[in-house]
Amino acid sequence: MTTRESGRVKEGEKRRVLDDAARKRRARKAVEALEQDNFHEDPHADLVMSKKVPKFSDSNEKPTRKKKAKSAEYYKMRFRKTFAQLVEEDASYRPEPPNYMSAQVGPSKFPDRHFCAVCGFLSNYTCISCGARYCSVRCLGTHLDTRCLKWTA
Amino acid sequence: MSETFCYILDNGAYTAKVGFSNAEPKVVPNCIMKAKSERRRPFIGSQIDECRDASGLYYILPFQKGFLTNWDTQKTIWDFIFSKECCPVNLSETPLIVTEPIFNFSSVQEAMTEIFFEEYECQTLLRINATDLAEYQYRKTHNNECTVVVDSGYSFTYIVPYIKGKKYREGIRRIDVGGKVLTNHMKEILSYRQLNVMEESYVINQAKEDSCFVSQDFMADMEIAKRKGPTNTIVKDYVLPDYTTIRRGFLRDVVRPDEDLEQQTLRLNNERFCIPELLFRPSDVGIPQMGIPEAIINSIEACPEENMESLLENIILYGGNTMFRGFRDRTYNEVRALALDHYDVNVTLGENPVTYAWEGGKMMFRDPEFYSFCLTREEYEEEGRPLAFERFDI
Repeated sequence: MTTRESGRVKEGEKRRVLDDAARKRRARKAVEALEQDNFHEDPHADLVMSKKVPKFSDSNEKPTRKKKAKSAEYYKMRFRKTFAQLVEEDASYRPEPPNYMSAQVGPSKFPDRHFCAVCGFLSNYTCISCGARYCSVRCLGTHLDTRCLKWTA
Repeated sequence: MSETFCYILDNGAYTAKVGFSNAEPKVVPNCIMKAKSERRRPFIGSQIDECRDASGLYYILPFQKGFLTNWDTQKTIWDFIFSKECCPVNLSETPLIVTEPIFNFSSVQEAMTEIFFEEYECQTLLRINATDLAEYQYRKTHNNECTVVVDSGYSFTYIVPYIKGKKYREGIRRIDVGGKVLTNHMKEILSYRQLNVMEESYVINQAKEDSCFVSQDFMADMEIAKRKGPTNTIVKDYVLPDYTTIRRGFLRDVVRPDEDLEQQTLRLNNERFCIPELLFRPSDVGIPQMGIPEAIINSIEACPEENMESLLENIILYGGNTMFRGFRDRTYNEVRALALDHYDVNVTLGENPVTYAWEGGKMMFRDPEFYSFCLTREEYEEEGRPLAFERFDI
């Protein structure tokens, strides 16, 4: 005997839904990606420079500078600090605002606007699985086929 | 010890603006680039002009999030800038003005002082914020009391209020949106919607400069972009460079499929104004911050009330992002709408937004008190770094 039930409800239960933490993680990753300098490997990474290759300069003159210039490598070692270290250091050096951290503006008082993750126009709907926005059935289809739970960036 | 000219280096995170105060500034990319097509050499600064095929450029930048962190890269680029190839200078004879970001970290400041005095044997040094130079120029040409300087650059946008020529630190605001975020966002959406351009920062940055504009009425432009056919006045094709006949891409009207010109193009529609929109609404990409006009008001509200009138009347915009068409008008309209009705609002776009701060340095050099702002080699050797911190208000 078959029970009457909605096909959509049945379909919906099968679907994996990302929890809030996972959605936030994705959003954070997307924002972080906006800070990246390069999205590909150094094209010269596999080049091996041989130190034995003779170096030629345009003139025969010997460099005449009195003081020998320090190499770029020296300054790399001398002032080696990552951005995170610098921020931390600044927090102890300038603990009272105004400082780097306090200068960051707060959130806007205007409500967020939402755009279709596929076509970029205003969206009214939210994907059940991942929380991305979409504007039409067509865009939802594209989203499900390409990014929804497949997106790894 | 009064020289007739000085050397000004506005050391930006993406481009350095450099030159003698009696000449025109050069804009030099402040990075080292590696090309796929030329395996033998990296391109330092403006050497990129010699590169025949600039597709897939790999960037090595001395700045990270707007602060100098990769000193080996920066030293290599400075060596290039100070050499015969670019803009030669003998710093032991010429005073130097060099810019730094607002709230520059103390160890970066120390390193700056050390490298210029000890490595480049500088005689007279002035380290200063680029916004100070911009404010100086504005104040000298407008004779005003207070100024709000908006510097929208590569890494971030700073809003700095000045009261009687001094920056009011409590009112300084930073928005973490700059040209880099815009270019990366444009790459991301174009790569998803049309063609993978994730590796083409250089080309897409040009596409952004050539085709984007700031919308004056965002919702209305969205409606226009939705239309099909000739009533859509926004949609255009961007012809990509192929580095044989086209060296730089350009924007052209959409053509019918049968008159295909066999060029590789990107179709730009709402992208043209949604990208710069991030400067006005960072929340559109999930950055929980105010846009520029709101932050301007927020900054002014943090200042003493008696200065509010003068601040609102003297808002100056500069930096690469301000060159988007419509940037000034949109900023004016929104600040006007947010400010109290009985105040006047004036928003000025720097005459040449990229070199505006550099030009300010040129004017500051002519200030009769210029040398009292500087630090000399003798003073540095006598008193060392503490004096540098005391004298330079970074």
